[in-house]
This record gives sequence, structure tokens and C-alpha cells, in this order.
Amino acid sequence: MSTNPERHVDVGALQDLKDIMEGEFKTLIDTFISDSSSKLEELAAAVATNDADALRKVAHSLKGSSSNICAGELSELARQLEFMGKEGSTQGSIDILQRMRDEFATVASILQEHV
Amino acid sequence: MDTVALTVASSEGPQEVLRILIADDNDSDRLILQTIVRKEGHTVYTARDGQEAIDIFREQSPDIVLLDALMPNVDGFQAARTIKALAGDDLVPIIFLTSLRDATSLADCLAAGGLDFLSKPYNRIILQAKIKAFASMRRLHETVQRQRDEISLHNDRLIHEQEVAKQVFDNIAHPGCIDAPNIKYLLSPMAVFNGDLVLASRKPSGGMYVFLGDFTGHGLPAAIGAMPVSEIFYGMAQKGFSLQDILREINKKLKRILPVGVFCCACMYDLSFRKRSAEVWIGGLPDVLVYRKGNRTIENLKSRHLPLGVVDNDRFKNETTVIQLDFGDKIYLWSDGIIEATNDQGEMFGEDRVRDVIASTPDAEAIFSAIEAAVEKHAGRGEQDDDYTMVEVTMVNEEDMGEYFADRGKSFLAGGPKDWSMTYELRPQTLREFNPLPLITHLLMEVPGLRPHSGKIYTILSELYSNALEHGVLGLHSELKASADGFARYYMERTKKLSDLYEGSVKFYVDHHPVKDGGVLTILVEDTGPGFDFKSKEQVSHKTEGYSGRGIPLIRTMCRSVRYLEPGNKVEVVFDWHVDV
Repeated sequence: MSTNPERHVDVGALQDLKDIMEGEFKTLIDTFISDSSSKLEELAAAVATNDADALRKVAHSLKGSSSNICAGELSELARQLEFMGKEGSTQGSIDILQRMRDEFATVASILQEHV
Repeated sequence: MDTVALTVASSEGPQEVLRILIADDNDSDRLILQTIVRKEGHTVYTARDGQEAIDIFREQSPDIVLLDALMPNVDGFQAARTIKALAGDDLVPIIFLTSLRDATSLADCLAAGGLDFLSKPYNRIILQAKIKAFASMRRLHETVQRQRDEISLHNDRLIHEQEVAKQVFDNIAHPGCIDAPNIKYLLSPMAVFNGDLVLASRKPSGGMYVFLGDFTGHGLPAAIGAMPVSEIFYGMAQKGFSLQDILREINKKLKRILPVGVFCCACMYDLSFRKRSAEVWIGGLPDVLVYRKGNRTIENLKSRHLPLGVVDNDRFKNETTVIQLDFGDKIYLWSDGIIEATNDQGEMFGEDRVRDVIASTPDAEAIFSAIEAAVEKHAGRGEQDDDYTMVEVTMVNEEDMGEYFADRGKSFLAGGPKDWSMTYELRPQTLREFNPLPLITHLLMEVPGLRPHSGKIYTILSELYSNALEHGVLGLHSELKASADGFARYYMERTKKLSDLYEGSVKFYVDHHPVKDGGVLTILVEDTGPGFDFKSKEQVSHKTEGYSGRGIPLIRTMCRSVRYLEPGNKVEVVFDWHVDV
């Protein structure tokens, strides 16, 4: 984990968010992590069952929440999955899903460092 | 619009607390948004899906709704449509929370009733600005709505008030004969609120009064003056007052009640069918035109007076012009609306065009409608303009009016006391302190149709009463009045004797009974004096010179009979009168 955190999380923006959230910041991070974990599972299920519509919806939600939490790369990956779902295809989604899992793990640890 | 702007500006306080509904299925996004909004000092309600959002909206009716587009169960689009329907006329700004980017999705948000978008990631500054903008939009909408409701309420009230006022006015105007067969008129139903007024009344003695008034101004101030004018006009016309008396009374009333600068341009005339003439008074109106049917020429009658309500009664001039009219001749009155009706080049219709229309209309009966059509064509308006007020009255043979006046004529003499008698005895204290003549005259004027004879009747009563009081009760000798010197002494003695009066009385017996188109009035005056040798007096030729003795001979010229009764302390006068048709 020697990668530059800035590649995964906009740390400056995260600090602003922390200032805004004050005491709620930890709750926010915990909520995001548990919510995103279950969303990743939902995405895996959607990919496994070839359910493009579910893929689109869940990816859309994750795209929004990760952008709000300043995790740009994660949001971008979610956008790609959402696009696939919208196109009605889950082809190639397994790769992206795997990259998302990795990215999420990195993001989660960076976020927890900031709590 | 100034008021709206002002209201909005002034209500923009330092920080308005709004009630804001946030609906987002994503827990972390909702948490961020809720925290930001709450930090701005607003009250937040949260919902996890569209159905919850609708339920909370129903319960709390928040000021602004922040709605995620994609939510489970009921999505944001459907929730927006339902919330809009629930809000009805109220503006509830809906802002979509979305990370959707494509144009179709954004258009769907707008179509569902969203006013704006807020993209993820949320930007605190933009969110603040949007909430503020939509809060003031909402206030603006409320202000407009409230003012719209107020305006509509005021308008309803105004119309209702005008209808009531019109009803009152119509009730006052009801006794008129404006629908007589020889009258044509053009008057907007609501003309009273334009200050125009047309009145016509049959006179008890036959003939008719016609009145056209044009008040300065519009609306209520103009309408207010119309009420007393109508009431005075009809009230006095029916009681038989003269043209001059009616004008004088209207002028006095208007001068007293109207503010400076508000007055009534008017024309009034007294049309006599029997004499085939019209007595005309014009104050401030455009020229009155008289159309001669015989040679199809037109004469102008110019205003010679100030409008009604301008000068005090002591400076009010009621001189009139009398014109002779043949059957078929017509008199045209108008307010300045007809003459001053302008076309799209700003040219007034003008009197010349009126003359042209009359000259090119050989059928006299078609002139009125020809003028009306020409004015409307000139002004280029499809519908009748409120300001066109015009009256045409034709001199006719009264018999040609058919049943109209036959019935009306009867009704003028109908009602009121006609067949009655009374005794009125005045004893010393009353004789000393009270003049009974106005009271008795007033009583007699209640007899329908008798008022035009009030002057003669007053003369008769006055002569009989002074004879009875002065010669009979006080015992004064009229010979005293033969010289200027004696005249003064006579009145000094009268005053002294009257103040010392403790016995004696004067009795009036008054009897009226109706005959066809008139009546017979009998007045008998008896005093407690010794009487006088009327037989020898009656031998002497009527004295008509000197200071005394003019009274009785004058009365003889007015009455059917003047009779003294034995022993000379009673005199009986019989006065015949007829409606002067």
C-alpha cells in the first residue's frame, strides 16, 4: 500500500467534508463502507445472473456515493459498470468488478485513516 | 409589479428557516446532504424512497423537496409528479439529486416537474445558492398568488358593488318615461359609472322634462352625483316644479356635495306638446341640434351657462331659451363622447359629420341609427363604446303617442289625497306667533296635479287670511293704508294689536274634490270679528289703484267665485283647476 492516496481519494476535498460533517464524519465513513460493501456484493450477483438492469441501478448508486466521498477512481469504475448495464450487456464486467473491489479496499483504508 | 418586488425584497431576512425534504436511497449521500442542509439552519425531513417522500410531503408539506431520481419502489420521477399534484396551486420547488448526465434523463426530471438538478458530488456553495434561489422563487410565487386572489376578490366585490349601485340607481330612475315612443336614446347599461345620465319624466300638467348629464370623471365619483340628480329630477318633476326650480335645486345639491373640479355638464328641457315648444337650458354640453323636419335643416342651440355644481345658487343663472317645434321636429342631445369619438388617425367625429349624416338620411326616423352607425364606423370599434350617450326626442301630437301617455297621465294623477275637507282654527296664541299659510299650502300641494297652481293658491290664502286677521280679528281699517304715511301706521298698529291679542280666532274650511283632469278647491275663511257691509262695498267698482284693495279683485280673476256670507265675517272662494295638457 505504498501507492499515492491522491490517486484514489481527493484528500483536500475529504478534509473539507470532514469539516462539514464534524461529529458525523465517522458515521458517514462507516455508513459508506458498509453500504458499499453490500453494493459490491449486489454487483457481483448482478454480473453472475447477467442482470443488466440491476447492474445499472446499483452501479449508478455507487457512482454517486463514491463521488460524494471524494473517491474519484471508484466512482469512475462504477460509471463504467453503469454504462454497461445501460447498454444491456455485462460482458467485461467481471474485470471491472474485480478492479472495483481492489479500489474499494484501498479507498476504505484511506478513509479510515482520516477518521 | 413594484409591490411584488418590494414585498419579496423586504421579506428577504438574514436567514430564513426552511423545511426541506431530502429523499435519497443512498445512506451516505443522504447523510452528507442532510448535514449540509441542517448546518444552513433549515429543518430537514428524510426519506429513503419515493413512497416515503410522498408520505412525508403529505404530512409536513415542506417548502423545498430534494429528490433523488433513481430510488427503489417509487422512483424520483413518479414521486415528483405525485408531489406536484398534491401541491396544487402552490409552488413546491423540486430539485433532483442526480449523477445522471445524459440529456434524456435530465429532460425526464424536468418533465416530471423538477425545477433544477444538483449533481453528485455535492457542492456546498452551489447547494446553498440553489436553496436560496428557490426559497425566493417560492415566496415570489406566494406573493403573486396572494395578490392574484386579492385582485380577484376586489374585482368580484367591485362588480357586486356596481351591480348594487346600478340597482339603486335604476330604482331611482324607475319613474321616468325614457321609454316613451317619441324618445330614442343610446346609453351604456353601466353608463352611470362613466358619469353619463339620461332622465325623462312626464310632467303632471302634461308635457315632459328631458335631462342629459355628463359628470366629469369616471367610476364611483361620477356615479355618486347621478343619484341625487335623478332623485331631485324625478321627485320635483312629478310634483310639478318648474324647469328653473329643478335646475336650481340640482345645482345647489351638486355644489354642496361634489368636490371642487367635479361637476355636471347638462342640458334640460321642458317639452310642451300643447304649445309645441321646448324651453331649453344648456350648461357646458356640446351644442344641442334641432332638426326641422319641414325643410330638413338644423339649428344649433349653444350652451349659455356653466355646468351644474360649479357656482353657488346666488350666482346660478337659470335663463332659458324657448323654441317652437312642429310635429316631427327633433332635438338631439349628446355628451361629448359622440362628437369627440376619434378614429385611428386621432380625428374627432365632430359636428360636421353629424350634419353630413343627417343631410344624407332622407328618412327622419332613420337619422338616429344612422348617426350611431356612423360614429361606430368612424371610431372603428365593433362594440358600442361606453362613452356614447345620445338622446333624440321628437315633437309629436300627444294623441299619437297612443296608450303610453294615456296610462301614464292617469297614473300621475293617481294616488295622493284628492277628495277631502278640513277645518283649521287658529286661536289667539297661534295667531300671535305663527303663520299658517306655508303649512296649508304644503297640505294642498299633496293633491296630485295641483302644484303648478301653488302661486295662485298662495295668493288667495294670503289675501283671505290677512283680511280675516287684520280687519276681522284685529279690527284695523284698510282706509288707513290709503297713504304712504298711513301704511306705516297701519303696520305699527297691527303689530301692537297682535301682541295684545287674547281673544278671537280665524277658521279655515278647506275642501277639495276631484273632477275629470283636475279638481275644485273651496276655501272658506271665517273670523270672530263683527263682519262688514259687503253689499255696499260690492256696489262700488273695483278699486285697482292706491295701496290697498288690490287683493280681492285680483282673486276674482283667478277663481270661479268669491262670495261673502252674512254677517260679513265669512268669505268663500271656489277655485277650479285642470291639468294643463
